[in-house]
Amino acid sequence: MQRPSFRARLVVNVVTWVVVLAVAFPLIWMVLTSIKPQSELFRIPPTFLPQSITFEHYWRLLTETPFLNYFRNSMVLSISTTAVVIVVATLGSYSLVRFRYRGREALATLVLFTYLLPSVVLIIPLYLMMVGLGLSNTVFSLVIAYTTFALPYALWLLRSFMAGIPEDLESAALVDGASRIGAFVDVILPQALPGIISTALFTFILSWNEYLYALVLVNSDSVRPLTTGVMNMLITSFNIEWSLLMAASVMMSVPLIIIFAFLQSFLTRGFGAGAVKG
Amino acid sequence: MSSTAVATRNTDTLDRRYAILGTVLIAPTVLIFCAVILYPLVSAVYLSLFSIYTPTLEGSWVGLDNYASLLASGRFWNALANTLIWTVGTLVLQIVCGVAVALLLNQSIVFRSLARSLILFPYFLSTVVAVLVWRWLFNDLYGILNHLMLWAGIIDMPVNWLGAMPNAMISIIVVGAWKYFPFVVIAVLARLQTIPDPLYEAARIDGAGPIARFFDVTLPQLREVLTVIILLRAIWDFKEFDLIWLMTGGGPINSTQTLPLVVYQEAFGLNQMGMASAYAVTMMIVMLAFMLIYLRQTRQKEIT
Repeated sequence: MQRPSFRARLVVNVVTWVVVLAVAFPLIWMVLTSIKPQSELFRIPPTFLPQSITFEHYWRLLTETPFLNYFRNSMVLSISTTAVVIVVATLGSYSLVRFRYRGREALATLVLFTYLLPSVVLIIPLYLMMVGLGLSNTVFSLVIAYTTFALPYALWLLRSFMAGIPEDLESAALVDGASRIGAFVDVILPQALPGIISTALFTFILSWNEYLYALVLVNSDSVRPLTTGVMNMLITSFNIEWSLLMAASVMMSVPLIIIFAFLQSFLTRGFGAGAVKG
Repeated sequence: MSSTAVATRNTDTLDRRYAILGTVLIAPTVLIFCAVILYPLVSAVYLSLFSIYTPTLEGSWVGLDNYASLLASGRFWNALANTLIWTVGTLVLQIVCGVAVALLLNQSIVFRSLARSLILFPYFLSTVVAVLVWRWLFNDLYGILNHLMLWAGIIDMPVNWLGAMPNAMISIIVVGAWKYFPFVVIAVLARLQTIPDPLYEAARIDGAGPIARFFDVTLPQLREVLTVIILLRAIWDFKEFDLIWLMTGGGPINSTQTLPLVVYQEAFGLNQMGMASAYAVTMMIVMLAFMLIYLRQTRQKEIT
């Protein structure tokens, strides 16, 4: 194989990194804005690197706004949704892959169909349901609503992980006298664990980022998650403080950056097209 | 003779017990599906036959009247046209940028995994964060975008990115592409890594240049994965609410108002739940074509 010349490689490197930095620029700009003093934002022409670095916006965000409260709500909400969905989806996907019964194929198709369903179609009946049950304005109502997209998603992901576990392993355990449940706990679960963990992390991200259900089902500050809470800070402020909002954006993204670092190896190893939901 | 009969009876009962266990394991899923997905879905169709005032939730039967007035209104056709412009525009950008960047990232470059992380991250970002950052970039007085373009001499007046047409539509299409093209990169990159090298060798021996190699070797190999990506992204872009609602709110006037935005506004702005359901159901019927093609594709691939 002929080796590409030094010049060709240099060109590819430069072009690629220019593209990468252009794509990352909005995020770099977000971080830079959040550490500039308010006065520097409105300078014309704008400064690129901050002339003086300040963390006052972060301090104000944590002490003078309900940000921490939103953050806690988002954590409770995303963790509860993920926990419920992972337990149900692990059992469900195991059943879909390894058992035979009537309606199994139809059910698998239904899962795929709901995975593509638009939230706006479900939002009105769900809203009426929550009002009817007296659950509106609770974190619990959001957990219920979030399962509508998180459960089909987790089922679909876990199903492909489960299908990848060799059937012989389970048969061997059954021959050795293990019960079906015993084989599931001792053989399937450990094998599926990496898949379960990554599915859990993706489900957490989906719940963390959800906006529409939170907008419709919750309207009091004490239960509002970050997405609608931070947007509310933009809408209700008299004059928009961009540095404060950028600080909020950075803080909101920190959990995602941590999760992303974990998932990186998974993603670059090449998840199939159906693996990541938009 | 009798021993085999006993054996089959045993496996029979074992099979039946397994079937029961399988049903028990899937039961929670089925229950949740019925309660929070199937019931609301049927309910949405049912509600669309009523005229319901949101604050009191009192309604009266109107049959198909909602659908009739919807199809006769300019609002529906305007929203449908906007949805199609947005979907096609952002989808094309996503695919072109996604394939191009995947090709670049497939080369050996320095700090490749850092480059990949930086490219992929926008996809995992909350739409709220993406919108806040871009609205700050688009700010007409202090936004960096206007300054950079003025400085580079591309424009000689600050541009109103979100408050005028066609700028607003172009802006949301660009932000949509920025947010979602990493999905294309992930999927294409994974596929690129599995294209066997001998194919390129053979093309090279035949005297094909890099461009010919792309069209003769790479693109045919990517065809299958691109079909799936295009269908999935078309469905997801078509139903996008957060990004458009938060960027422009459907404005200026109604020029970026897409179908999901109309559903939300009818239900919670104009307080017409029945009408909103009719919009939602109509929107789903339009989407159904794509969904059915996608379902067929995926099921087919699983069988073969």
